[in-house]
Amino acid sequence: MLLTLAWRNIWRNKRRSLIVMISIVVGVMMVFFTNGFMNGMLFQMLKNQISSSVSHILIHKKGFNDNKVIQSYIPDPELVEGAIKEQTGIKNYSKKLISFGLLSSASNSSGVFLNGVNPIEEKDVTKIKESIIEGTYLTENKRDLVIGKKLAEKLEVGIGDKVVAMANTPDGSIGSEMFRIVGIYKTFSSEFDKIYIYANKQITQEMLEVENKEYEFSIICEDYQQADIIKEQIKNQLPDEYEVLSYVDLLPMIIFQIDMSKQWMWILNIIVGVALIFGIINTMLMSVYERIQEIGVLMSIGMKNGKIISMITLEAFILGVTGTIGGIIFSLLVMWPFYNSGINLAVFSDGLNSFGIGAVIYPVLNINDFAATLIILPIVSVLAALYPAYKAIKLEPIYAVRYV
Amino acid sequence: MQIIRTEKLEKIYNDNGVPVHALKGIDLEIAKGDFMVIAGPSGSGKTTLLNLMGALDKPTEGNIFIENEDISTKSKKELSEFRLKNLGFVFQAYNLIPVLTALENIEFSMMLLGINEEERQDKALALMKELEIDELANKRPNEMSGGQQQRVAVTRAIVNNPSVVLADEPTANLDSETGAKLLDLMQKMNKEKNITFIFSSHDSQVIERAKRLLILKDGKIVEEK
Repeated sequence: MLLTLAWRNIWRNKRRSLIVMISIVVGVMMVFFTNGFMNGMLFQMLKNQISSSVSHILIHKKGFNDNKVIQSYIPDPELVEGAIKEQTGIKNYSKKLISFGLLSSASNSSGVFLNGVNPIEEKDVTKIKESIIEGTYLTENKRDLVIGKKLAEKLEVGIGDKVVAMANTPDGSIGSEMFRIVGIYKTFSSEFDKIYIYANKQITQEMLEVENKEYEFSIICEDYQQADIIKEQIKNQLPDEYEVLSYVDLLPMIIFQIDMSKQWMWILNIIVGVALIFGIINTMLMSVYERIQEIGVLMSIGMKNGKIISMITLEAFILGVTGTIGGIIFSLLVMWPFYNSGINLAVFSDGLNSFGIGAVIYPVLNINDFAATLIILPIVSVLAALYPAYKAIKLEPIYAVRYV
Repeated sequence: MQIIRTEKLEKIYNDNGVPVHALKGIDLEIAKGDFMVIAGPSGSGKTTLLNLMGALDKPTEGNIFIENEDISTKSKKELSEFRLKNLGFVFQAYNLIPVLTALENIEFSMMLLGINEEERQDKALALMKELEIDELANKRPNEMSGGQQQRVAVTRAIVNNPSVVLADEPTANLDSETGAKLLDLMQKMNKEKNITFIFSSHDSQVIERAKRLLILKDGKIVEEK
């Protein structure tokens, strides 16, 4: 009955209650839109990094990740491959050569990371093939080279042009080879596109005099959230001279930001909640002052303070819950079209690309975000009603009942 | 059998720093089943006395015993509990809860006692039927006349079987015919259920029906009939 009374009390002044509810709805929408947008950017950054170079798990000789020298090849590739094959939850993997070098065209030179790859393996691990915007992906022709758009612009080269790559061999001499550009790719990161070049592994091994040597195993898991578990299992099977790193180890800043965004959701909710407190205090105070006589009657007939507090906080709770649920529904309705089409920020594409983010952001929301809002805002509403409830129980029934 | 007893009851209000002596040593005994009216001119202290006997206020001096329980020493919380279990109130302005129907208004005080929904509905409907107001069950106060609202208020006051019902000017807002019907109802409850009614009123038709009349003036009992 207290719930019925609280519900009906809310609708005594429809306009006032609707204004409070609408302000909660707008607050919730703001929280979800901001967080969905931020999560969308962060997850896109993560996804782009994973799909372009980091993958889910990387295996190297210990120290290679920090210092990519040509001497740091994987001591026993067959041992590593055996460990990978024993694991469940692995979708694809590739082996590659990675070396820092110099790529020169007729007009310019640039420092690059030369990736010697098996094109068939690599297309299942990275998205370079899908990012080709001109020409083709690597073919069986051993001198094929795929470079990024930014690098092509810097070197002033196009499809079919010849370039020369140079890099150190293990004995310290310089290995060089001529390549022909067959493809130009463009990822969401302009920085990546300036540095990473892809050639067939065999020619790069010959060029650097490291035949049959592997430098990196890139692994894609069936579920990226299992990467850390799988990483540990592989690590346990390999000697200490190997380093096994997951994307969590390799992209600490992005992971930190994603973790932060989860905290941010709570902070955003609290900020909106604090803003709402004043609206709810005002509404509930007005509601109490309008009902002084009625509260006096309730006290006279024996309604205890606890029940009066319950009645008033229940009214605020209903306002909070209704507003929050309304906000969630409206947020989903408004954001729904953007889940498929994304939010086009082409006007900021250069800036976004430098952070590894595409021009179209797809908002991301998860169940925890809804839970945070559904917990915080109704609690805040109840807290805001405590002061009006306190004012109500401080009324003296003999005066309140005659209040006009 | 005595139900209310007051001993040297004094009440002094502070009106902006000026002490106002509203009651001056009232000694009174009220028997169970009484139908008593407290009358007197404005400012005589009748509402103050009613409030003290209704456990809505505390005396400055003296004691009030209701069913041999001294309510003048009880805390605010204890008084609230005491009112709920022992007293019923009828106010001048009816004071039903506007968002509840007549039935729900009557049920409300039973809800405060923790009675389950089915039991309180049955009890409230039975009483409404007995008092011939069952056709008002689903009406809200704004859909009822003043007389109907006051009959519902009386029903609300007696539904928990209180020892005493205190009625402050219950007919003041009603025309004489409606007022008479309301008093008929209260007299019926007094006779049939032996509920003690204490009125504060200067309405002649209330005074005429009193089994006992107490006239106050300047905070003192000046006449008793």
